[in-house]
Amino acid sequence: MDQLYGIFLYAVFLLTMGGIYAVLALGLNIQWGFTGLFNAGVGGFFAIGAYVSAILTSAASARHLGGYDLPVPAGICAAMIASALVAWGIGRICIRLRSDYLAIATLGIAEILRLVLKNEIWATNGARGISRIPKPFEHVAEPWNQVGMLLLVFAIVLVLYVLLERARRSPWGRVMAAIRENEDAARAAGKDVERLRIEAFILGGALMGLGGALMAHHIKFIEPNVAEPVSATFLVWVMLVIGGSGNNRGAIFGAILVWTIWSATEILTTRLPSEWATKAAYLRIFLVGLALQIILQKFPEGIFRERRFQTSAASVHPPPFNRENTS
Amino acid sequence: MKRILTAAVTATMPLTMCLGGAGAMAADVKVGSAGGITGPIAELVVPIMAARNLAATHVNEQGGLLGGGTYQLVASDSQCDPKAAVDAGAKLVNVEQVVAVLGANCSGATNGMAQSVTIPAGVVMLSDSATAPSISELDDNDLVFRVAASDAYQGRSLAELAWANGYRALAVTYANDDYNAGLAGVFEAAFAELGGTITASQVHEPDKASYRSELSTLAGAGGEGLALFAYYGSSGITILRNSLENGLFGKFLGADGMMDNSVIEQIGADTLRGNIMLSQPASDTEDVSYQAFASAFEAAGHNATSPFVAHSYDVSFLMALAIEKAGAADRSMIPAALRKVANAPGTVIRPGEWEKARAAIAAGEDINYEGASGAIEFDKNGDVAGTYSLNGVGDDGTWTTM
Amino acid sequence: MIEFVNFHLVPGLVLGSIYALGAIGVTLTFGILRFANFAHGETMTLGAYFTLALIALTGLHPLLLVPVAMALTALAVLGMDRLFFRPLRHGPTIILVIASFGLMLMVRSLVQIVWGAKLQTFSKGIDLPWVLLDTLRIFPKHVVIIGAALGLMAAVHLLLSRTRAGKAMRAMADSPDLARLTGIDTERVIRTTWIVGAGLAAAAGALLAYDTHLHTNMGFRVLLPIFAAALLGGIGRPYGAMAGGLVIGMAEELSTYPWIGTEPLVPPGYKAGVAFAIMVAILIWRPSGLFRGRVF
Repeated sequence: MDQLYGIFLYAVFLLTMGGIYAVLALGLNIQWGFTGLFNAGVGGFFAIGAYVSAILTSAASARHLGGYDLPVPAGICAAMIASALVAWGIGRICIRLRSDYLAIATLGIAEILRLVLKNEIWATNGARGISRIPKPFEHVAEPWNQVGMLLLVFAIVLVLYVLLERARRSPWGRVMAAIRENEDAARAAGKDVERLRIEAFILGGALMGLGGALMAHHIKFIEPNVAEPVSATFLVWVMLVIGGSGNNRGAIFGAILVWTIWSATEILTTRLPSEWATKAAYLRIFLVGLALQIILQKFPEGIFRERRFQTSAASVHPPPFNRENTS
Repeated sequence: MKRILTAAVTATMPLTMCLGGAGAMAADVKVGSAGGITGPIAELVVPIMAARNLAATHVNEQGGLLGGGTYQLVASDSQCDPKAAVDAGAKLVNVEQVVAVLGANCSGATNGMAQSVTIPAGVVMLSDSATAPSISELDDNDLVFRVAASDAYQGRSLAELAWANGYRALAVTYANDDYNAGLAGVFEAAFAELGGTITASQVHEPDKASYRSELSTLAGAGGEGLALFAYYGSSGITILRNSLENGLFGKFLGADGMMDNSVIEQIGADTLRGNIMLSQPASDTEDVSYQAFASAFEAAGHNATSPFVAHSYDVSFLMALAIEKAGAADRSMIPAALRKVANAPGTVIRPGEWEKARAAIAAGEDINYEGASGAIEFDKNGDVAGTYSLNGVGDDGTWTTM
Repeated sequence: MIEFVNFHLVPGLVLGSIYALGAIGVTLTFGILRFANFAHGETMTLGAYFTLALIALTGLHPLLLVPVAMALTALAVLGMDRLFFRPLRHGPTIILVIASFGLMLMVRSLVQIVWGAKLQTFSKGIDLPWVLLDTLRIFPKHVVIIGAALGLMAAVHLLLSRTRAGKAMRAMADSPDLARLTGIDTERVIRTTWIVGAGLAAAAGALLAYDTHLHTNMGFRVLLPIFAAALLGGIGRPYGAMAGGLVIGMAEELSTYPWIGTEPLVPPGYKAGVAFAIMVAILIWRPSGLFRGRVF
């Protein structure tokens, strides 16, 4: 009985984390899946969201900026606005860059941001991080506190899904797909490509900020390392690619699936003798990398294919990434 | 329901023991052993995990827990990242159903895991290396303990030791991580308060290939030596090497993050002898408790001077004592039991003395565990006060208390 | 003034030479295979650890073993290309970038499994510099590193300008379609590219370890500065990459010199950001780099 209850509670944690990653993956899907913008700095937007919401909602502390004591929803909204503003700024100067270049630039910007979070101690408490961030439902008795958080995260994912599906089907979404497939044609048709791209970048950035804020409230503590590239950027990419980029359902499913694999494989490795447990932790990362390679080679479209509009009857569907000749 | 069951088990236990069926009946006891197995301090965590396991081996070799049950540590990777730590904690507490958690190494990971998982679940967390003062401030319902003293103690203590050894002006550099940044802050304030001068203070990014230019700026400001707050692996050894090779600094002070034999191995005993002083929680190398731990740990093929290993042994052994004292693998009974087995008064127990401890607990006595890392006495926050010794390189080329 | 030479200029030159060697590989793979190889840093790590393993095996001086480590690394990278990059070669290039990101994690975790996460060095103890004119401090190892880097760069120059394979590589970098039309065996050129890039990366990793230490994250730590160097020099421009490497290395070390007043110009906590900032600036204002490389 205890065992079953425990597994239920773990499932709640697992799905909460998976749901938060799903928000990040949905944000990346707007940028990459819909519009074809290679953002390798997911962790940067994530960090902005996490820090803004944390600073605005946590109690006063002599160690960092704070003491505004705003309610959590206000913090989360502010987080989205702040990340959207930063995305706008970055978008303004970087959006012209194509694929790899944008990737390197965003990765560099995210790393600079991490240095800022580490060094501007007056605001962020540097490497020591911000503690005692309020968590929704935390005063309800276990397990309802954790279940409440899960329901909140899933409600957000559901709302985002519905909105993004509508956006995808709207004229705006169709233009986005058109830009991604053939930028020149879209430009020739009189679309302001630059502006639309920035819009997608901002929207995606805002969702990443939302994901960051949710994470901060869920784990109640943040420090610059929560935005390190492997678990905050790379993992989100793996989720989207495996789930199927361009497909919102794929993004959500990929996030939950990959997070489950990432987290649950550890239950197996802890059964190994202790000398091996250390090596097994590395082996786990190795295997996740290998799984990604296999998916890339065997199922390049991910689990959920992108649902496309009939653009022209004659065109054979290209893979969703075919952009190398657009520059 | 759970409580009734445990009560029933506890009630029947003496009976089964009398019948001699204890070995067969006693259940294994699972305790989580969370640590930054991967991540920025991975190299420090290898000996930390080994030390925790050594304590478990001692317990199991000398009769086990609660009448013959195996004391089982379940390793879990907190990656020194609060995100990962929350996930690791959720697995330990819910899937593995551990009675308590040891760890989770970095202050950030400990903080996240405690607030989000173990405190709501009512599970005790006993940390061996989280030193951030913010951990004392958590609303923890008496569920978070640590045997590593808050930086507030070590920083002050090192400043006093430096002053007593005749230093009046020092340059400071510290790695930008939770442990070292906090320590340096306290040290600087305390040293200035004593009347000393901090000629220059500079943060550095760990894991860079070299620190020559930073050090030359620091040396330019003068100072009798360099107070170096860093983990030996990520930047400590590099800074010592750069300073010595370039003749920038010749004298060094530091804390226990630098205390590892590989520092001597890499730089050379003769170069360092007389030129470096490191503070370490008073696991006074002459102390009986420390010796008991160190000889067992070295016999198992590990390095007993590695940072925090004495604490790691202590948390693991203390947890076993607390469970034995509580008389049942019951999460809610651990906090009170922890204080009873750690704090004076009581029968003095030292590392490795499990059989003696078991007998004392069976006789209804309280225990006063004198750990390898010092005489552990928990205060109301579940913290310990730190007392520190000063260490240098001895004639035999190892770290020795001065 | 002498402080400036000892602690900023010379270390900048050393770091710059190492970045330059790494950047040549990045710029060649970017120019010829058309993708940013995120696993390049791990190739450097691999080269350093192969050298370490060879030292343990033979007990010879690290520099004698670097060529062997370069060959081993090149072999390993050819294997990776066969397994992970070649099957994706005809798809969109961006998939190659994601694959290289995955490969980066795989190689790093393998190194951690085999050699452990502990910091290691080629030789123990400290070595003291030659002191000239009482003030100028020159380390023998720095002379060796700069010398070795110059030698390797000269070799690259000869390869690119004198040999058939080198000319084919340059042709591919300039115009892949044209190169294919003139009958160049593209797979062969790609193999040569990997061998040259991996060999130089291995040498860079080994030299970095020789100057400082080995760590499983060492490659990733220098990956962004190396990208910055390659971009600064212009993609597909090996000579540009050499210059870019030197500039980035010098910029990092010189940024902490107290140019104005007594405080370092850039606070040391932000030192790592200097290369990133230069890189972002180049991308925004001059994506073709200083040497007019290709922009895809």
